[in-house]
Formats: sequence, C-alpha cells, structure tokens
Amino acid sequence: MRSRIVTVWAVTGLGALALAGCVADVPPPVTSAPELEATGALLEPQSDRIVDLTMAELSAADRARSTDGLTDRVGGDAVTIRGVQYTLAKADDGPSPVALPSQMQAVYVSAAETWPRTMVTVSEQADDDSTPVVMLWVQEDIATDYQMRNWAHMIPGATLPAMPGPSTGAPQLEMDSDAVSPSPQEAVESYIELLRAGDGSDLDETFAPDSYRERLFTARSTLTDAANEADGEYVETVQPSIADSFAMATADGGALVFAPLTIDSSFTVEDATVSIDEADQPLLDGELDDTVTHSYLDFIVIHIPGADAEDGALPGVVAAEHNLIRVSDS
Amino acid sequence: MSLRTTALVAGVIGVLLLVAGLVADAQRPPREVTPDAAVDTAVLVYEPEMLAFAGDNRIGVSGAGEIVGLTARPADAEAWLADHSVTYVTGMPDWETLSTTAADPVEPSPSPSPSGSASASASPSPSPEPSPSASASPGAEGEDEAAPVDIVSETSEDHWRDDFRGTERLSVKGSDVVAGEVLVIVSTDGSPLTSTDLKQTRDVQDGWITPLIWWGAFLTAVGVIALVLRFVDLRPAQAKGEEWINKRQRVADGDEPDPGSRRARREAGEHLPETSLDEDSVVSARSVESASPSSAPSAEPPSAEPPGADSPSAAQPDHDDRGEERP
Repeated sequence: MRSRIVTVWAVTGLGALALAGCVADVPPPVTSAPELEATGALLEPQSDRIVDLTMAELSAADRARSTDGLTDRVGGDAVTIRGVQYTLAKADDGPSPVALPSQMQAVYVSAAETWPRTMVTVSEQADDDSTPVVMLWVQEDIATDYQMRNWAHMIPGATLPAMPGPSTGAPQLEMDSDAVSPSPQEAVESYIELLRAGDGSDLDETFAPDSYRERLFTARSTLTDAANEADGEYVETVQPSIADSFAMATADGGALVFAPLTIDSSFTVEDATVSIDEADQPLLDGELDDTVTHSYLDFIVIHIPGADAEDGALPGVVAAEHNLIRVSDS
Repeated sequence: MSLRTTALVAGVIGVLLLVAGLVADAQRPPREVTPDAAVDTAVLVYEPEMLAFAGDNRIGVSGAGEIVGLTARPADAEAWLADHSVTYVTGMPDWETLSTTAADPVEPSPSPSPSGSASASASPSPSPEPSPSASASPGAEGEDEAAPVDIVSETSEDHWRDDFRGTERLSVKGSDVVAGEVLVIVSTDGSPLTSTDLKQTRDVQDGWITPLIWWGAFLTAVGVIALVLRFVDLRPAQAKGEEWINKRQRVADGDEPDPGSRRARREAGEHLPETSLDEDSVVSARSVESASPSSAPSAEPPSAEPPGADSPSAAQPDHDDRGEERP
C-alpha cells in the first residue's frame, strides 16, 4: 500500500515536470540569404560622403596651393595635374586652378564585387562659360578609399548616356570585354590611332565629331606649318594608358570608357632658339635651345553606343581634358 | 458507492491534480529566452541568413569600450573580414545557446614578394640614412601598445552602409539591418568582445496548468468537505432542526379548521369555479358545429350526394375521394 502511494506521487510529479517542459521546437535555420535590395557598390549617402571628403581635401589643397594634402581622396593623375595648376597659379598673374564644382547632378556607381572599381560623377556647371565636369574615382581595394583620379569637361553639345542607378550599379567592364562592340580597349586604341593619323584618316568617320580632336589637329597643323617655315620639325606622339583605363556599362548596353593618355609635342627648328608662352614658363624644365617639348596628361571619356542605340550611332568622345604638365628642352 | 465515498475519491484526485499543477507551475519554462555564446575576438559577424533568422528580435553584443555595428554588402564585408580574426554566429541549436565558428585572417598568398621587400627595407637599415626611421619605429610600437588602434578607421570606411553604436553593450534589432546585408560588430579598440545573445520569444504549451490547479483545488475542497462530514455526527443537530420546524407549524394534523376560515373554505372546495351544465347551451354549441360544414359548397361532390339525404355532414365520411360510396 505504501509503495503504491509513493508510485502515485512519483508519477504525478514526473508527469507534471514532463508536461511543464513542453515548449515549441527551435525555429528552423534560414538556409538561403535574402536577396540584397541595393546591389550597387555605393548607396547615395556613401557616394555623397566620398564626394564631400574629396572636395574638402581638394579645397584645403587649393587654399594651400600645395599637393601635400592630396593624400587620401585625390590621387593618380589628378595630383600631378593639380600640382601643375598650383605652380602656374603661384606665378604673377597666373591662372587659378580649374574649378571643380562640388555639387553633382549625377553619380554613377559600380556594381562590381571585385577591385579596382570606379565611381563617376557629373558636376553642375561651374559657370556659364564652362561645361559640366566628369570626375572619375577609383578604389583599388577594400582597405583604400575611393580616390578621384581624373576629371574632364564635357564636350560642348555632347550628351552622356543613361546609366544604371545606385540601387543596381553599373557593371564594371574589362577593357577587353566583348560585351560591347568595339571593346573598350579597341575603342581607345582606334581613337588614339585617329589622333596620331590626323583628320585625313579613315578612322575619322568611325567616331562621332568632337571638339577635342579638332583643336588637337588644328594646333598640330599650325605648329607643323611653323616648323616647316623654320626648316624644323614638329613631332607629336600619343600614348594611351590601358592599364589605368576603366569601363562601365551603360543602361542601353553600351559603355563609357575612361582613358588617360599622354601627348608629347616636340618642336624643333634649325639654327635658332625656340621660345614658349610666358604663361608656360613656370613649367619649363631646362634651358631652351632649338627644341622644346610640351608634355600633356589628357583624359578622355568615350561613349560606345549599345546594341539598342539608333542606327548610325558612332562611338564618340563626350568629355576630354587637355592638361599641360611639363615643358622640357628636349 | 455512496455520495460521501465518491466525494472522498474526488478529493484524492483533486489533491493529485493540485500537486501536479503547482509543480508544473513552479517549473513553467520562461516565454522570453536569450540564447547566448561566448566571443573572444574583436569582430563578430551576423550574416544575412542569421539576420533573417533573428527577424524582429534583438541581437545583443557585450564587450569593453565602444562597440560599433556596421553593415555592408556581403562581398565587401567578406573582403574586409579576410584581414581580421572573426567569430561568425551560425545558428541557434537550442533555446539556450548560439552556435559560432571562428575564422583567422586569410594570409596573403604571394608571400615571397612581401618577404623580398622586407629584406630590401631591412638592408638599408645599417646605413646611416635610415637611422631616424629605425629610432622612430620602436617609438611607434610603444605608442601602439599604449594607444589601441581603431580597427574600423584604420582602413577605408567607404563600403560601410549603416552603423549602430554602443558602449560596452550594443543591441540591434535584426530587422533594422537591410535584407541581404551583413552585420559586422566590432570592438573599435581591438579588445575582444565577450558575448553575444539573441533574444527570442517562444511558444510555451502551458495553457493546461491554470485549469488543472483550479480543478484540483475544487475537487480537493469537495473531498475535504466529505471528510469533515464523515467525522462530524450531524444527527443531533438535524433532530433539533426538525423539532424546531414542527414547532413553527400552528396547526397539528388532527385539528379541525375553524368554520368560515379560509382553510375551511378551501377544504370545502369553495375555490373551484362555478360551471354551467344546462342543456340549452350544449345544443346551441352542437348546431354551430353541424352548420359549418354545409356552408362550404366545394367540400361536397354533388354527383355522389344521394337525393333526400338528411344530413350531408353524416353522409360525407362514407364517400371516398372519387365520390364513390364505400362498402
């Protein structure tokens, strides 16, 4: 009898404990990641922050007329070009550095998940006499900041193509990508070939007209004539820098190609001493005799139309900057 | 089985139920739980799957100093995390713990080239020129020990999309992180975080406990009453009560009612209503009943009615529906 009572009490207690432990099972794990809402590399607050920090660094350097402060957010050719502009600005009646507006009317971000990756902005017009400025930022790896590497004023009358928005980002294209025709590298090399050959080249008809090469050809013609009159010689060499070039896909399946290039203009006369503009004197390296070479660090933006573009649309330069960086005596 | 025995059995069952209910109530599992895990790295990661699992629940991280939660695209976060010792929160195997895995920094694969540059930089050190840098480097190391490096700001922050900040404790709701992004929680001074937890609300199947306690209490009370009645003899009190009731009655069983009293009238049947039983009223009632069928012409089929019939109401039940006379 006693053992029966003990059994009853034990069963009661254990039953209560067992029932008290009745809780729902642990929820099952989520095995697939939800889709990312914004796949672009940078959202608007991020790109705004990058632009603001860049412009703050640039304005501090402009005030100091020194590139010493251009360390984090401004790099590459932009430092070289800005340094030349500071040198010119320090001279008597020297020109002020090129105005780079801090207000942007468009920002194109990359969708790339690898490096290097780019960000491109189109600024507001600084004044009525200038066109909007296309600026290129590059991030080399995850640990380094986006740096503004180059800029170029838009060609008057040119129109930039529609680009994917920040929520998706623009695909970053390899220079030899066959996603567009011609490939970015082919487009740059063909344009460089056109610059070398001059306006009589067959390649002239494969690119849309632009004022950049017109001015270049005009200057070349003038200097060639001057050299001929002095029994001299004018030689112009144009070199692209494919390794520092980038391409981003446009919304219509085309591409925007950002390509720096160097141009060396060598002017030689016989039995005479060449002279240069007074404004370029601060950039002179050496003592002039019968030869002078002007070195330029240029930057062009080529638009390659997509497959959906209207018939007859040609690749064309939509922005370009011609920057004199050095004058040498050889 | 008498009523008292049944009540005693119910009482025993009630005690068992009450005890079971009270034990279950004391051991009732909490509805709010916070599974946790220890952390010994300065960087903790909740990946998109784990953030989706957390949902609206709060993720907590404890540590010393300032703690920052940063969100990024998975590809960007992965690239940044490759250079750090990281603890990943991977799941919740039970209601008490979170599962984690640790990952060390990914060593750069082209190891020969860094070693080459290191030897190149080391070789000039004996020369007089690099001596300032040699004297500066120990000082820098000393400063590193004294002043911890902010591991967030020592590299680019361009890829971080959102941030949450706290001191010694950071709490972030899982749904506050945009779907698909990674949450990277960092102790900015590089000191290891201590723990992480994830608050959860679970369903506890305890709806039966309270009714069990009430039913147990009720049956126990019934049993107690039956037990009390078993040991207390109520017959004297019952006899006193009956005697008192008899005393309250004024009329004994053999008494005659007072003439003219209400009881006398009631016993004489005076309260019954007077009814009229004369013959006239019965006849008039019958004539009304017999006249009413003949006033309905459609109810009598004319072809079947025998001529000279005295009473159509009496002849009608002998005809069927077709007017034929029944045998």
